[in-house]
Amino acid sequence: MTAFRALELMVLLAVLAGLVGLLWHRNLFLKVLAMDVTSTAVISLFVLIAARDGLITPILQGDTPVVDPRAALTYADPIPQAVTLTAIVIGFSVQALLLLATTLLAGRDPSLDVAELDQPEAAGSRAGP
Amino acid sequence: MNPITIAWLLLPLLAAFLAALLPVIARGGVLFTCLGTAAMALAAQQSWVPTSLQLLGPLGITLRPDGLAAPFLLLNALVCAAVVLDGWRRPQSEAWPLLLLVLHGSVNSAIVAADLISIYVALEVVGIAAFLLLVLGGGRRQVWVGVRLMLVSNTVMLLFLIGCGLLYLEQRSFALAAVGQAGGLVLALLAVGLLTKAEVFVAGLWLPRTNAEGPLEVSALLSGTVVSAGVVPLLRISAEAASLLPVLRWLGIASAAGGVLLALLEPDLRRLLAWSTLAQMGLVVILPAVGGLYALGHGLAKAALFLLARHIPDPALAGWRQRRLAPRLWWPLMLASLSIAGLPPLLGFLAKEQLSSQLPGAAGWLVTALGAGTVAVYARIWAPPGRPQSGAGAGAGAEAPASTGATLLVSALLLLSVSPWALPLWTVMPPRVLAGAIVKSAFVFAAGLMLHRLLTAPAFAPASATASATASPTASAPALGPTAPIPAPPWRPPLEGLDELLGAIVLLGAVLVGLLGWQP
Repeated sequence: MTAFRALELMVLLAVLAGLVGLLWHRNLFLKVLAMDVTSTAVISLFVLIAARDGLITPILQGDTPVVDPRAALTYADPIPQAVTLTAIVIGFSVQALLLLATTLLAGRDPSLDVAELDQPEAAGSRAGP
Repeated sequence: MNPITIAWLLLPLLAAFLAALLPVIARGGVLFTCLGTAAMALAAQQSWVPTSLQLLGPLGITLRPDGLAAPFLLLNALVCAAVVLDGWRRPQSEAWPLLLLVLHGSVNSAIVAADLISIYVALEVVGIAAFLLLVLGGGRRQVWVGVRLMLVSNTVMLLFLIGCGLLYLEQRSFALAAVGQAGGLVLALLAVGLLTKAEVFVAGLWLPRTNAEGPLEVSALLSGTVVSAGVVPLLRISAEAASLLPVLRWLGIASAAGGVLLALLEPDLRRLLAWSTLAQMGLVVILPAVGGLYALGHGLAKAALFLLARHIPDPALAGWRQRRLAPRLWWPLMLASLSIAGLPPLLGFLAKEQLSSQLPGAAGWLVTALGAGTVAVYARIWAPPGRPQSGAGAGAGAEAPASTGATLLVSALLLLSVSPWALPLWTVMPPRVLAGAIVKSAFVFAAGLMLHRLLTAPAFAPASATASATASPTASAPALGPTAPIPAPPWRPPLEGLDELLGAIVLLGAVLVGLLGWQP
């Protein structure tokens, strides 16, 4: 088994751990954190894909590469890295919004139990101010 | 011509920035942007602009403002304009038109995007904008419904992103053309993400509660435009990957059957409309060639129905026939629901006829049979118009104003069936075929109405009896407010909790992987 396969397997395990956590926990806050685990695993998948052929950052200075191509034949793939950057920013903002909303919900019901929040005729519409 | 397309894509976002600086121009900005999108839809339909754009090199961004995108763009423009016109007189938060602009722009991007990463980014922005619109009211229920939607949609977008990564590993490309050679696992991951966004089958179970408890303008947006952000990429992918097409067809039919069945048993108007969206979106993904027309007809009518539901004081369907609607609300309601049910001169009929005539064999007959179910669903809200009974806690309903947005949408629905969009489809139909289609739709209507009779017959309707029993406290207690959720009837299994939603999505993903073939 190559190092790439082993790392890929670990990333897969991290994705599964996040998904299981998302399904398992009853607390909304923990669910949000579990989703973040999945998100981090997905990002590391992209980093892994970018680095599967080489590790050297492909940077041009003018027309000449910063690293001599004869010395280092294996550049990293820049495309997945660019995509990861977008995914990180989006994941971060989604996480921030979810945590903010969780804080709002926790102000009224600190237990944050998902089953309780899901009750359709909960206190919300009737006992609300 | 490329600068025009790019300027049009950036216009809503620019307008949103301007609206943040100058709140006065916000609503005008929305209308102007919608006009721009409608013009773009026409240009895309007539191929006045290049139908494929490649920005930033072969691995960069691909945009396709083509014939597939055109009806969805028109739908997005009309629904957003109708929603802003409908709320013109009401005082609203300053953030509302701004978020609407962001939603409009991101849905536009999702419709024309034709590489996986652009689709991912656009769909995430759509999700964030929809979340913010939902929680804008700030009530506990709204925040919870928003969080629910966001958790589900972000989870499936992560699965979508894993699919993108694996595709790049296989094919070294994020282009849609690469999806055709992709393995089953990649296809399954991509499809789960898009099916959830498109509200098809079990992946769409988040919709009814979101629609029933969120603000109704947002429900109109969700059912009208946000679905198209998920449907268009799904149709594009299924055009590339032939192995996905049969799976989608049966998922779509299953979604339609389930949606119709649940809508028939539903005691709440808003949830009935949501279940019907689930059913109709299932029919949209069956056949990519007709999907655009079908989604246009359905989206216009459904958004109009949700905007009308704002003006209906009591959403309980029990005792619907006793509460008469004012004619100003009755006309658009009837036209919109008759169009979804498929009455001949309306756009919905044309879409349904195209769908069932182009589907091979048993699937075509199944779709026709489901049409009868749809008629039975909407027969539940067909009642003669009249003055609302005074008293009965309906002081607001007595002088209900007409809904501007719904009127706009319904007149668009009427005009479009004779417009250049639909006219060629009418004229190529030989008179004999047309007559056959009309006769068939008459049979469908008769069957649907009989089914409705059967279900509402007093001796034969345990479901509606329990529904009226549980709904009567709501009807007699106006203190609950018009948006208080109607308690679920006891027979309904708890399918819509957050855990059930996430579990259903994971299960659907597993089933899709099994169906599409496991090829790691």
